[in-house]
Parts: sequence; structure tokens; C-alpha cells
Amino acid sequence: MAGQDAAAFPPAARPGWVGRLRRSESATGWMLVSPGAILIGIFGLLPVLMALKLSFQKSDLLTPETPWVGTRNYRQLADDPRFAEAIQHTIVYTALFVPGTMLVGLLVAAALNRSVRFISVYRTAAYITMAVSTISEGIIFLWLTDKDYGLVNATLNVVGISSQPFLASTSQALYVIVAMTIWGWTGFAVIVYLAALQGVPVELHEAAAIDGARPFTRFRTITLPLLSPASLFLMVWLTINALQLFDEVYLTTRGGPLHATTVIVYYLWDQAFVQFNAGYAAAMAYALFVVIVIFTALQFWLSRKFVHYS
Amino acid sequence: MSTATSSVEPGSATRGWRLPFSPWHLVLVPLTFVLVVPMLWMVATSLQTQGEANRFPPVLLPHDPRIANYADAWHTAPFGTFFLNSTLVALVVVASNLVVCSLTGYAFARVRFLGRKALFMALMATLMVPFQVTMIPVFLIVKWFGDNVSPYLGINHLGALMLPNLATAFGIFFLRQFFQTVPVELEEAARVDGSSRLGVLFKIVLPLSMPAMSTLAALTILTSWNDFLWPLIVITSTDQMTVPLGLSYFQGAHQTNWPLLMAGNVMSLVPMLVVFLLAQRYFVQSVAGTGLKG
Amino acid sequence: MNKRPFARIAALVSVAALTLAGCGGGGGGGSDSGGKTKVVVWNGYEDVQGKNLTALIAKYNNENPDVEVTQLVSSSDRVLQKVLTAVRGGTPPDVAYMFGSWSPNIAKIPQVVDMSSYVNDADWQWNDFYEGERQAATVGDKIVGVPALVDNLAIVYNKALFKEAGIAPPSADWTWDDFRTAAKALTDPAKKQYGWLIPADGTEDTVWHYDAMLWEAGGDILNSDNTQAAFNSDAGVEALTMLQDMAVTDKSVYLDTTNANGTKLMNSGKIGMLVTGPWDLSSLPDIDYGVQVMPTFAGSDAGHQTIAGPDNWVVFDNGSERKQAAVDFVRWLTAAEQVKTTSLATGDLPTRESVGSQVSFQKQLDKNLPGSSTFVQNLSNVKKARPSLEQYPAISEAMGQAIVSVLLGKAEPAQALDDAAKATNDALSGG
Repeated sequence: MAGQDAAAFPPAARPGWVGRLRRSESATGWMLVSPGAILIGIFGLLPVLMALKLSFQKSDLLTPETPWVGTRNYRQLADDPRFAEAIQHTIVYTALFVPGTMLVGLLVAAALNRSVRFISVYRTAAYITMAVSTISEGIIFLWLTDKDYGLVNATLNVVGISSQPFLASTSQALYVIVAMTIWGWTGFAVIVYLAALQGVPVELHEAAAIDGARPFTRFRTITLPLLSPASLFLMVWLTINALQLFDEVYLTTRGGPLHATTVIVYYLWDQAFVQFNAGYAAAMAYALFVVIVIFTALQFWLSRKFVHYS
Repeated sequence: MSTATSSVEPGSATRGWRLPFSPWHLVLVPLTFVLVVPMLWMVATSLQTQGEANRFPPVLLPHDPRIANYADAWHTAPFGTFFLNSTLVALVVVASNLVVCSLTGYAFARVRFLGRKALFMALMATLMVPFQVTMIPVFLIVKWFGDNVSPYLGINHLGALMLPNLATAFGIFFLRQFFQTVPVELEEAARVDGSSRLGVLFKIVLPLSMPAMSTLAALTILTSWNDFLWPLIVITSTDQMTVPLGLSYFQGAHQTNWPLLMAGNVMSLVPMLVVFLLAQRYFVQSVAGTGLKG
Repeated sequence: MNKRPFARIAALVSVAALTLAGCGGGGGGGSDSGGKTKVVVWNGYEDVQGKNLTALIAKYNNENPDVEVTQLVSSSDRVLQKVLTAVRGGTPPDVAYMFGSWSPNIAKIPQVVDMSSYVNDADWQWNDFYEGERQAATVGDKIVGVPALVDNLAIVYNKALFKEAGIAPPSADWTWDDFRTAAKALTDPAKKQYGWLIPADGTEDTVWHYDAMLWEAGGDILNSDNTQAAFNSDAGVEALTMLQDMAVTDKSVYLDTTNANGTKLMNSGKIGMLVTGPWDLSSLPDIDYGVQVMPTFAGSDAGHQTIAGPDNWVVFDNGSERKQAAVDFVRWLTAAEQVKTTSLATGDLPTRESVGSQVSFQKQLDKNLPGSSTFVQNLSNVKKARPSLEQYPAISEAMGQAIVSVLLGKAEPAQALDDAAKATNDALSGG
């Protein structure tokens, strides 16, 4: 990033000139960001701060009285085995879902990024997976993975493997959710990678091809580095979403069987709107917030090594 | 399809030999099938009787396709109004996002201003708290706007659906990432020629970022179109309802009318298909295609 | 330039803080400009239920020109989130359809109208509502709502599968051992056919199936003064062991861990018996089914029992004028005449005994949906209700996990129930 920052200044600038330019750069910068910053400040940041207060209160969302309890909600979190379990499930889920979706998305996008007939039909199909409601995906997956009537087990039986319980099993259910959500998010990753692939100059490939580089080598040495800003975007965005997984769990397993798919936001929702412990749920959200901030900061920090801009 | 032929294929060193059809179809057809299975199921269910839809394992092909389900679904509730409302909200939100997020995203990508990193992290932080938790505060803020600025921005008005989504940290982050891949030499040249930052953004960066801008547009419209929880919370009268809320008419407390629900879902999907087909013209555009070299 | 956004945000923060502090002031105004008092009704009725309610509202508006009742159709499942947010913002509806299981907690909302001062008026005929409904609407000394819908659990069975297996259909004097034997006979792994199906997602849907069995075995959920768990009694273990015998030993039960496929599998002829409520009948058009009351436990004198899950119309206070109009509307909507109309139009069970006991009415109901009258008669087998305690969600959670762990073969009944009892006692003692 240092390189492109320097590029923002004319090379011949003297120190005083740089100082003035910096001030005017700041003015320009703030002018450009202010509409977005104000809007997100009001409707994003302010609610985050308002909800933070709730995490220091005892609140059931029902009674107006919300006594201040200091850090009790947070201390309670530390002793809650279900929360520890939920963190573990969330981390396992994220660790599989994020790379899985990026890999599948990249492969599909690479396959779709070519000039064959009907390519726009194929691309539309990828996009459709995003437009289709989660409930349809959930129902299809329940059917595919049903222990008695599902297609997956029918296929396994044909090749001599006995039927698996999948969502009815405490040890397999989380992995079924991983597969289901990778499927559901593939369209998103494909669309992002397709947009990024448009920025890969064909001349680089042609030059490398003339030098005798094989297609896979060209993909690895030319395409992948040029896709790295999009990859960073996907990694961060998918991680943020993975750590906040809720809908798919709500629509299929309800966190079960026996809490095996209870991830943090599902547990949080359960505490707030089933058990009426909203203050505790808020504390959970901010514990999660810290986790996401750390993950994201880590990703940006790592990105300095592998992301190449222009 | 005309755009597809002008698209650039990175691995096209094999341009020498041509088959009657590309071998890629052998990969793409099954791949596509796997991706569209849920949609095929939706369409199939939307043509079934209640009995057929209440089967497990599911019936795939309806015995006697009931096109009438679509008319029945349409007449269950004022869906014309719902589509109009959803369209209005999506259009305002997408227009605002494209303008605001490109300005903000560009500043984060290229302008070195005081507090840039801190501000960027603060905006990103808003993505990291689940909406289940911030929902009530957002509700109160929107209500304040309705009471103090204009009732059209408040609870139970379409404005309440637009207001919190006029700019998204998602859009800013997305564009920031893409703007950073625009060759900086082009911008420098324009700056030396005396263009302002805004001029560079509009004359150089945006034209080179059409794939990213159209992708963001399609994603933003889709998100707005499918949004369920926020409209559920904030809309309290039928004439302000959006399509996803209208689909509640088919989901009762104890049972769901699957054929009508899926007919409604398919109808809701059609405008999104149109949007995508329109946006797709711009998805495919290479740096080389604009006559600029990287 | 760069100071202004922060100034605005700061201004907004303070305003928002004021709004927060001042919220809960109620919706204010009573009448709209036309002079009509508004009553806003939130409900999750679809299909025939929706059409019926719309027609009733139109009729009421017609007969009461000074009132304008409007409705909003919304997802029942998520309506709690909507109502809680609206209450927080000071804009609750006047009437909302709310699940009975929420009652103990809803009772704590200050804007919820305590109906006890109204329903004692003779023209309400409060005691005409079935006892289970009245119990479920009562929290301590408050009545938080008026029964909107009632149901109960009974056996729904596939006649053809019983014939195929060569066994007699369920009778009213079946014991759970008879049920188990039949379920085993109906199970055929080759055809992927099961004798029974039970929701095993561990939610309240799992728990209330067990509750009915617990009561039939002579047990109770809590002790008489609601201070201690009582479900880990011998009766509780007997009921859960019956489930274990069928699910783990006989493997005659399809465990529906996602709670999504029960009705569909029944309608597809894959399941011999379902223990379910009347709402499922209209979703079984492809099979010839029969309905029978639940079996009894041999040696228990508790006899036939079942469990009812009544839902309520809850009234919110939006100023005295609207409140009175809302109360009047709910009284009309739940009066015997409208209850009968609703029941015949929708197949829902009647919420009032005076309607349910009419033989001609039962016949009419059966003509619309065969088997409905058994469910109506079964309402008299509702002898107990779940405790109306704000800790109930925690109790339900503990019981649900105990039941599922036994069904999945991961725990023994006595141990699982003892663990759940410990969690329950902790919740009851405010831990």
C-alpha cells in the first residue's frame, strides 16, 4: 500500500509543498467520505454504541426497567459451557466455510470466464443461487441429506457405503451446514471473482504463453496475484458473515441435534427472543464483535504479504 | 450473448483449434445444474397441488401443472403494491449506494487523508455486530427521523426501508478493493493534467470499474429486494409492505401453502433475473477492451 | 469540513438517548380525523383462516360505524420480535395474535392489558372457554389474552398401512404398550416405512409430546407450588423409557431432528402414526387417515390425557379510547357465534365448550375435515397445562435436550431427566 500512497504525490514535490498537499488531501478525503461516513455513522455506528449499553444491563426486552449490572453479563459468559461450545462450532464452521467457498467460487468463476456460447446463461445460473430464498435451499438440502430418503445416502449405498445420519447426527450435522452454505454462497463468490477477472489484462497471458508457460502456471503466477484484492474482499466478507451464521441454522437444525450446530448468533437469538435474556445476548454480541475485529485485523495484516494492487 | 463474444479469456492460448461446441460445456452444464436445483424445485413446487407439495421425498414433476397457482398467489394480497414498493426501495437504495459508496470507496482507496485508517475500521466495525442486536436501536433512530424530520422517513413508510441502507460498509469496502486495482499511472497522468480528484474518479476510475459497479448494483438490488427482517420490524400496514413480507400470506402459524409460497417466490425472482441480465452487459469488460494498457 | 459529521452525530446521539429514555409513552391519539376509533390487529393467518378473519373484520366494521378495525398479516413465528420492537418504540398494535407459550413473559410488558377486569362481566362468558385455555391465558393474577385458537394432540393414523400390516387400528382403550407393538409391526426398513414419527429438534414441539405422556403416566412437570422439578419422577422415567424403547430398541420411530418433514412423510404413506394436532389434517389429502385419542399407561390411573397449545389475542394499551375499542372487538371476535363461524370455515377447533359440545356442529366439522370431532372431544382430556412461569423457556430447553439425548441413544432416561431437573431447579431459584 505504501507504493500507491506515494504515487498520489507528484514526484518533484518539496517538503513544504507536501505538507500543504497533505492538508488539502485531508480536506478532499473528508469531503469524499463524508456522505458515506455520516450515513453509516447514524445507521450503523450509533446503533452499535446504543446496543453496547444493553450489554451492561439486565434486560428482558419486556419490562422498561433495565438495571445496570456492570460486567456481570460478560463474567457470566466466561462460565457458560454452551457459549464455549457455540464459539467452538462457529470457529470450526468459519474455518471450513470461508476457504471452501473461495475455492469453489474461484474454480467456477474461472470456468465461466470464457467466450463460449450461452455463457450468459451459465453466469445467470450462478447469480440465481443468490436470488433463491434460503428456505428453498434448506428444504432441498434436508431432502438430499435425509438419512432414509435422501439422494446422498442412496448414492453412498450404491457404492457400498452404509447410510449416514447427517443432520440427525451430533458429529456430522455441522459439516452438512458447511456444505449447504458453501453451496448457497457459491454464486456470490463467483460474481465477485468474475468481476475481478475482467481486470486481468489478456496481454500478460499472451506474453507468458509465448514464453512457454503452461495454463496452470499462468493462472497461478498471473491471474491469482491480480485477483488478490478481490480475494481479500471475499475472505473478509465471508468471514464476517460466517461468524454471524444464523438463517440456515434457524431454518434447518434449530441449533441441534443436542446443540451440535448451535453457533454464536443462533445462541444469541435463542437467549434474546426465546429465553428473554436480552442483556446477556448483547454481551454475547460484543464478545463476538471482539473476535471478528481480531480476525479482520489479522486478515488485513496478512493481506500486506499477499495482496497486490495495480 | 454479444457481450460474451467480446469477453476475454485468460486461458485462450488454445485459440488455434475449434470444436463444433466447446468442451467446456461438458463441465458447465452439470455445474449449472447443481447450482440451479433449488430454483428448479421452486418452479416445480409452484405448479403442484397442495397434496403433491406435501410429499417427502418431494415430487419433482407435477402430475398436472397448475398454472392457476400464480393467479391465486397474485390475488391473495395486493402484490401489485408490494412489487411497486420493493422496486421503489431498491431503486433509491441502489442509486444512493452507487454514488455514495464510489465517493467513499475511492477516498479510502486513493486519497491519503487524516484519520483514514481509523475511519475505515470504524465503518467496517458496523458489519461486525449482528443485526438482531442493533435492530432496536436502528428502529429508534428511524422513528426519530420520522418524528422530527419527515414522516415519510419514519416507521411504517418506505423511507424507513431506504434510510438505513442508503450507504453500506459492504459497498464501500467492495469498491475500495476494486478501485485499488485501477492502474495508478492513469490517475497520475490525469492529475498532472490538472484534473481534480472528483474528475479523476468520474473520468478515469469509474469507466474502468464498470464490472465492479454493475456487480455492486446487482448485489445491492438483490439484498434490498430480499430483505426480510428489517421490513418485518418496521412496516405495519399493508400498503407499505414489500414482496418478502407479502409472502407471509402463505405461511401460517402451523402450516405453509407451499405451492402458492413458491409461486410467489418465483414471481419475486423474475425482476431479479431481469436486473441481472441488464447488468450483465457491463459485467464483462476488460482493461484491454477500453483501449488502455495495464 | 471534517468537524461537521461528528457534530451531527453527537447531536443525534443525545437526541437518541432522550428518545430511549422517553420511550414507552404509548401511541397517543385515540381517533383519526374521520372520527373513527382505530383498532389495528396483527395476525399470522393465511389461506382459509385469513379469509375468515378478513370477512369477520368487514362484518364488524359494518356493524360498528364508529370503529375501524384494520389488520396486518405478518409471520407468526417472528411476530414476537416485531411486537417487542414496536413496544420499545411506543407503537404497539392494539391487538396481536401471540403464541400461548409466550404468555408468562408477555405478562411483563406494561402496555399489555390485563383482561381480568373485563372478562368477569357476564357477557364475556369467560368460563365457557375450555379450562386449559383459561389456564394458559392466566399468569399469576393477570389474564394476558383471550383464547384465539386451541388444539391438542391425538393419534392420526394411516388406515391403509394398518390394513397392510394386518393389525387393528388404534382404539380408545389402547395402552402405550399396544401403541409400541403396532409401531413395531408398521415398521419396515426395506420400504423405509416407520411406525411413528416424533419431532426431535429439542424445541417445545418435542417437549409437549412428552408432556402429554408424562401426565398420562401420572407425573407432573413441576411440584404443586412450582418451586421444584417433578418430571424426574418414576412416572417421568416411565414415559421417557417408552420413547427410548421405541426409538432406540425397536427403531420404529423416525426421529425428525429438523422438524420439517413430519406431515409430508405422513402424507406420502411412509409413516403409520403421527401424534399431532388438528392443523395437520388439511395437509393429508393423499391418504385415508383416522384419528384416535392418545393411549394410556397400563397401571396409571391418570387415564387419557392430552396437551393443548392455546394461542391468544393480546390487547395493548394505546390510550383508553383505543383500548376500549380493542377490548370490545376481541370480545365480539371470541363470542360463541364468531367462534362457531370460524371453526366451520377453517377447521380450527372451537375455543368454547358451548360450541364444541353441539353434536350437529361436530358432524358439520367432520364433514369438512374427517376426524375433527375426535379432536373436539379430546379437548375434555386436557386436564393439565404447562406452568405459566417466566422461567418456562429455560425448563423447556432443559427437558427438550434430555428427551433428544435419550431418543438419539446418547443417554439413559433417569440420568437425563435428573440432569434436566437440576437445570430446572437452578432456573427456578433464579440462578
